Amino acid sequence: MDLLSNLALGFGVASSLANLAFCLIGVLLGTLIGVLPGIGATATIAMLLPITFQLEPVSSLIMLAGIYYGAQYGGSTTAILINMPGESSSAVTAIDGYQMARNGRAGTALATAALGSFFAGSVATFLVAIFAPPLTTIALKFGAAEYFSLMVMGLMMSVALAHGSVLKALAMVVLGLLLGMVGTDVYTGAPRFTMGMNQFADGLNFVAVAVGVFGIAEILRNLEDEHDRQVMTKNITRLFPNRDEFRQMIGPVLRGTGVGSVLGILPGGGAILAAFASYTVEKKLSKNPEEFGKGALAGVAGPESANNAGAQTSFIPLLTLGIPANPVMALMIGAMIIQGIVPGPNVVTEQPALFWGIIASMWIGNLMLVVLNLPLIGLWVKLLTVPYYVLFPIIMAMCSIGVYSVNSNPYDLFAVAFFGLLGYVLSKLRCEPAPLLLGFVLGPLLEENLRRAMILSRGDPTTFVTRPISATLLLLSLAILVLVFLPQIRKRRDEVFTESDA
Amino acid sequence: MPSITRRILLGSALALGLAGTAAAEFPERQITLVIPFAAGGSTDVVGRIVAERMSQELGQQVVVQNVGGAGGSLGAQQVAQAEPDGYTILMGTVATHALNPLILKQKPYDPQADFAPVSLLVLVPNVLAVHPDVPAQTVQELIDLAKAEPLAYASSGNGTPLHLSGELFKAMAGVEIDHIPYKGSGPALTDVLGNQVPIIFDNLPSASGHISSGKLRALGVTTAERAPSFPDVPAIAETLPGYETYSWNALFAPAGTPPEAIEALAAAAKTTMADPAVADRMAEFSATIVASTPDELAEHVKAEMAKWEPVVRDANVSMD
Repeated sequence: MDLLSNLALGFGVASSLANLAFCLIGVLLGTLIGVLPGIGATATIAMLLPITFQLEPVSSLIMLAGIYYGAQYGGSTTAILINMPGESSSAVTAIDGYQMARNGRAGTALATAALGSFFAGSVATFLVAIFAPPLTTIALKFGAAEYFSLMVMGLMMSVALAHGSVLKALAMVVLGLLLGMVGTDVYTGAPRFTMGMNQFADGLNFVAVAVGVFGIAEILRNLEDEHDRQVMTKNITRLFPNRDEFRQMIGPVLRGTGVGSVLGILPGGGAILAAFASYTVEKKLSKNPEEFGKGALAGVAGPESANNAGAQTSFIPLLTLGIPANPVMALMIGAMIIQGIVPGPNVVTEQPALFWGIIASMWIGNLMLVVLNLPLIGLWVKLLTVPYYVLFPIIMAMCSIGVYSVNSNPYDLFAVAFFGLLGYVLSKLRCEPAPLLLGFVLGPLLEENLRRAMILSRGDPTTFVTRPISATLLLLSLAILVLVFLPQIRKRRDEVFTESDA
Repeated sequence: MPSITRRILLGSALALGLAGTAAAEFPERQITLVIPFAAGGSTDVVGRIVAERMSQELGQQVVVQNVGGAGGSLGAQQVAQAEPDGYTILMGTVATHALNPLILKQKPYDPQADFAPVSLLVLVPNVLAVHPDVPAQTVQELIDLAKAEPLAYASSGNGTPLHLSGELFKAMAGVEIDHIPYKGSGPALTDVLGNQVPIIFDNLPSASGHISSGKLRALGVTTAERAPSFPDVPAIAETLPGYETYSWNALFAPAGTPPEAIEALAAAAKTTMADPAVADRMAEFSATIVASTPDELAEHVKAEMAKWEPVVRDANVSMD
């Protein structure tokens, strides 16, 4: 069979001593920057690009890929231990992971995240190997109308999974949508809400907003009450989940892997969307939805598997079409071009050693991560037991450097400060930042695709319901909305959140 | 008495030191090359390849800094306002030094008065391509098709060289085609590959993989002559005589930079572009090497401004 001989070729390439070493460097570096909040994979890969010029193409791409999925692992560690997602895609993990840590189950949460990620990573890598070429045709079937409907569904989900009142969640989504409007209008070039500052012409920086509302706001909240010291370290009694917990993990991990694999292929924050989607699914399916937000194992296992699967399958459009699904993939294209490889459908046939080598290295890298990370958790934890007065300034400095390094735009730092304060105020008002962030990310895409679909249909709005994929997505969003407002479910939902708020 | 001796000694040492500084060759420390776009794009790739080789040539590290935003205006503005000592230079493009200044109502900088030209490095062709299901096989057939039914074309954004290549095409062919702007070339390509939009104007390097594999059909390149990397693809000018657009990359320093520094940089750029390894990379990229003198670049900017001014005016593209 072709697949086997191809994989054999891939493993042959990836298991050379040099490539193993680069893979290790990549995943270690990735985990480190994942643990440190604010320093993202995008910034790190961009900084390392010039170095890769000297390496073999395969080695450089193996290392860069390792940084990317290593960061997904590391990001969940800080999310669980200090409620500060190191990567935006682990924001969901923080919800229940941190609560588990508060309940003294930090070790279990970390191990669940690592094992779920490993399983999802392995499965998704296998999927990349089998389905890469055929799956790209699905992504190509998504036109403007389909994307619009997908975004609508995403926003509905964000409302459904938010804590507290539906009204507050909706308000946060709308605020997010408005913030997403800042910047140049794609169609007319008119600047909107930029207050006459050229620096906001491309809109507010996502990283800046995320670091502000999640990171800085969390630090401010923590400073309020030094006794409520939240680095959950002394409570790590055991790492490995017991048999019962293993049983609880299986379902969420499998579903998360499925959701993540599908959503990862779609351009635009696949891993983040996948984590949110998986969390919603788990909460809806759970027999004890009241546990969510209070340390539900499924709330860690599902989203962690989903974001890792999504991170892995986002390589599919890159490797088969040369189209980036997210900013990191755009950098990978840059890395390929630097090496004189034109990304596109030809890569699989013209550079089989490169294509299959990268795929095989993902497997090896995922294995390295799980082997390394379980023992290393202790080290990462030590990194976080540093006292507040040392830790917080360091984190804030790291965050600022990370944000600044994306565009070298000082206005992004003003945005961090502003959104840090805003996030703090919102937390005082018991408004969730997650729907705000999702509205902020999806808003511009929603608008762009709505208007593009309308131009393409020459002003005919029925385009959204006459195209089958779009119609299905809209029906699903309607179903989610109905579910949220059904009296029975609504009552139960309210109960859940009254308890979890206490 | 001893103190006087010391002072004299000190003074002469100082004088020697100063003389040494004045005579020292540019560059004495690392140079920052500002790339006015995010990492990963074609300007970024050209910039990083050039920076790598120029570092060897100059004996000082040329450090790439990506200052993306506002279609390249932010990075260009930063260099325009930088200390004019030759240690901060810009990888300028057709966007930063011809289109943006024409399009933006509030000019953040003057592309001619605020910069000292160094060297025009490469010209990069653009390409007019269609999804294989589009019946038109040639530029002429596409023009006829556009006259018969409504069509739309994708570009990497409003006011980009690709948008204006499309507008120039429409004006010269006398047809109406809807423009659908995207945020960058990647998403625009995706929609054309999926036949959501039938036509695209794109940079040849970013579309070349899809053209070779047959997922896109190239109808014409935008340069006056055919591109060496795609000899079978005609130039649009073969159907519409006089049609010519291309993207370009050039090095600029802030106005007022000492001539010695400009000369040193231009010389290093020339050697860099003559290196066969660099030339190979550029050829894979379908880029034509120019490696001009500073004066030639000044002329080039002037000519580009003159060429695009009527197109921008007629297409009615403007931004506040």
